[in-house]
Amino acid sequence: MAKHQTPLLDQLESGPWPSFVSDIKQHAEFRHANEGKVEYQIPVDVCDDLLGALELSYVDGETHWKHGGIVGVFGYGGGVIGRYSDSPEKFPGVAHFHTIRINQPAGKYYTTKYLRQLADLWDFRGSGLMNLHGATGDLVCLGTTTPQLEEIFYTLTHDFNTDLGGSGGNLRTPADCLGQSRCEFACYDTQDLCHTLTNDYQDELHRPAFPYKFKFKFDGCPNGCVASIARSDFSVIGTWKDEIKVDQDAVKGYVKGDFKPNAGAHDNPKWGKFDIVKEVIDLCPTKCMSYDGALKINNKECTRCMHCINTMPRALHIGDERGASLFVGAKAPILDGAQMGSLLVPFVPVESPYDEIKEVIEKLWDWWMEEGKNRERIGELIKRQGFPKMLEVTGIKADARHVLEPRSNPYIFWKEEDVPGGWQRDINVYRKKHAL
Amino acid sequence: MAFISTGYDPSKPMEGRITDIGPRHFEEFYPPVIKKNKGQWAYHEICEAGILMHKAKGGDEVYTVRCGGARLISVTLLREVCDIADKYCGGYVRWTTRNNVEFMVDTLAKAKELKADLNSRKFAGGSFKFPVGGTGAGITNIVHTQGWVHCHTPATDASGTVKVAMDELFEHFTKMDLPAPVRVSMACCLNMCGAVHCSDIAILGYHRKPPIIDNKVLDNICEIPLAVAACPTGAIRPTKTEHEGKTVNTVAIKQDRCMFCGNCYTMCPALPLSDKEGDGLVIMAGGKISNRISRPKFSKVVVAFIPNEPPRWPTLAKVLRQIVTAYAAEANKYERLGDWAERIGWERFFEKTGLEFTSHLIDDFRDPAYYTWRQTTQFKW
Amino acid sequence: MALDPTAAREQILEFCKSKTKTKFYFNDFTKLFPDAGQREVKKVLTTLVNEQVMEFWSSGSTTMYGLKGAGKQHSEE
Repeated sequence: MAKHQTPLLDQLESGPWPSFVSDIKQHAEFRHANEGKVEYQIPVDVCDDLLGALELSYVDGETHWKHGGIVGVFGYGGGVIGRYSDSPEKFPGVAHFHTIRINQPAGKYYTTKYLRQLADLWDFRGSGLMNLHGATGDLVCLGTTTPQLEEIFYTLTHDFNTDLGGSGGNLRTPADCLGQSRCEFACYDTQDLCHTLTNDYQDELHRPAFPYKFKFKFDGCPNGCVASIARSDFSVIGTWKDEIKVDQDAVKGYVKGDFKPNAGAHDNPKWGKFDIVKEVIDLCPTKCMSYDGALKINNKECTRCMHCINTMPRALHIGDERGASLFVGAKAPILDGAQMGSLLVPFVPVESPYDEIKEVIEKLWDWWMEEGKNRERIGELIKRQGFPKMLEVTGIKADARHVLEPRSNPYIFWKEEDVPGGWQRDINVYRKKHAL
Repeated sequence: MAFISTGYDPSKPMEGRITDIGPRHFEEFYPPVIKKNKGQWAYHEICEAGILMHKAKGGDEVYTVRCGGARLISVTLLREVCDIADKYCGGYVRWTTRNNVEFMVDTLAKAKELKADLNSRKFAGGSFKFPVGGTGAGITNIVHTQGWVHCHTPATDASGTVKVAMDELFEHFTKMDLPAPVRVSMACCLNMCGAVHCSDIAILGYHRKPPIIDNKVLDNICEIPLAVAACPTGAIRPTKTEHEGKTVNTVAIKQDRCMFCGNCYTMCPALPLSDKEGDGLVIMAGGKISNRISRPKFSKVVVAFIPNEPPRWPTLAKVLRQIVTAYAAEANKYERLGDWAERIGWERFFEKTGLEFTSHLIDDFRDPAYYTWRQTTQFKW
Repeated sequence: MALDPTAAREQILEFCKSKTKTKFYFNDFTKLFPDAGQREVKKVLTTLVNEQVMEFWSSGSTTMYGLKGAGKQHSEE
């Protein structure tokens, strides 16, 4: 018999998509049965009370959580989000319901041994409810009480060799795509870069000194599966400089219908037989390809959109001179509108220990920490002080690749040192030539 | 329930403390075939919906079975994932950026057996536990935020709206019958913890009422300068008012400047803004992240407001269906939703989807607004 | 000019006590030491946190520093 009646939530148990309500209910039963005789460190009915509190929100159309203030582990300014119920007398099991963000391994591969360890810990000291994964990438553990926080942190660091992720005005947990581990498109080792920078910048991740949050994301190629160009202040996207490699026999294979086009990503019969001209040549955004029995690519005009490679992955491969483009300043709309990352470095080799990339990052941080207003993302600072200012602080030379088009207003704020003779002029000299 | 200590001593927090160690090294978690072939992959192919095959230059093959699931997952379900991975995958498993679970095996036969097994597992309530799909030109799992399950400023629930959306669009999760992938994202308020602003379809919670000022307690529980500083539009100022015969310190809010972000509520619990009638959903469409064919682009607001209708949000389901149905019928192969809308023109998008165009959809927020108005004689009747 | 940690520490504590608000952004402190590097200021703050003199306050999206126990929003609400 459930502790709380949840007639509204029960309606989210039907339908094909996995029901979080059914899952929380099964875990509520599991906790009550407690066949493993776990000495639960937070109330046994935490899941029941979460369902009860959520049902109340479904009735009221309003949240019943309060923000938490100072909750965290000692010495860290992030990694824990404090949460309290505004109806603790009705739902004592979730009176405290804090979240812990655990830094996920790059690429999100796991062994079941590690996951079971985490599951046991979270059963013992938390609600047993998690997010795999949070929006930034962390393993998120939902729901524990204040006295458990240090205990959990102790176990994570001492027994699991694992640290917390970021929150607040600091470096947020970096995230990456699976990269070269299982993808032929990846132009660099996203996991190694992600892991290295996460470790090199632990102080920035745990002890806030930034005006606001700062996110790193690493995409292995321009397909952008981890959405870095939209979701990270500093986005690294794999690219290459030389020619797309073509296997003409495999191209013919696609044309003949031996291989499924677009790597088999379409299963709708309405598209009919593969037509290389219609589906590849004509869709190329730069029109740099042709097909006359053999595929020709004018690589100089290619902008590496990946369409042809995505469509014929057996036949076409990324070039060999690989690296990444760096983009800065993506953020969600608040306050001044959404921003995507703007191209700062068209090409950088991506090689351990990644000093060239770190140099750019640190120059950007120095600028933002010096000039950024509180709660101002770096993308907003770029808008406020101008893109040329970012070039100045990073020491990067302006390049036509930085813009889609040149400016359409002439309001260039020349500096005195740019103009021969400077700005200090003598009115008497002027007056000799120009009477009043 | 006796407190069990790890040995941590709160009076000496620095004693034996381990910090700044970061995450576990990714290589510890690579399945052997991944470790062996990293950087040596030749090509991939989707064998059928939910099964991918990656071929290494040396000839190795890895078959990945992808299944969807709620982002909110209990450790009971997590242990079931582990049982499956132990049985089929040598104890390895991974998650995708979009909350899907991936199981890797070495033959197509095993992948098919695993797919059948995953599709056979159901919750007591009847829904799938591990529906296989989410590949190719279809609708994969939704990335989303916390909502009423865990957040203090949401304008809607996340897990519930996502469940409704995926139920409605489920056929496109298990098939690859659309012109191109459709990426759906959900965020519960305009702060967008899950930045949804570049999604093919974005579901966004939105408040429409400024905060209520709880004069009785404000000065006792809030630091007024922090509440003032929290407002991104500068709409809050300190003031004094009469409350029950006493003069109290409080704040005044310029209501027509409020953008309903809730940042003041985060700093000051005496400024709540949630409201059953005021809160609801905004639908945005046509964004993308990939650079394939066209540039990444922002999602546009196509429905200004849908009321919160828990638990099944029928209007949301209907609107999603309208957008996806029109797109599936009209777009060209490889054409993303936003590319389709741009090709036919947004005026035609509203005609084809049957969505109503209202004045709220015309941008009037600061400078970028002008660039979205039409400065040409070219438009469609 | 290198920062004198002992003097900087006193200046930070006095600054905190002199204000009516109890939570401060990191750059409120860097403004106290216009000639010092940000990392030097951060080191002093980290020491104060580790010695339990100061503590962090986090809204989830932004983080601030304050004297331990000061202010109106505490963890035990």
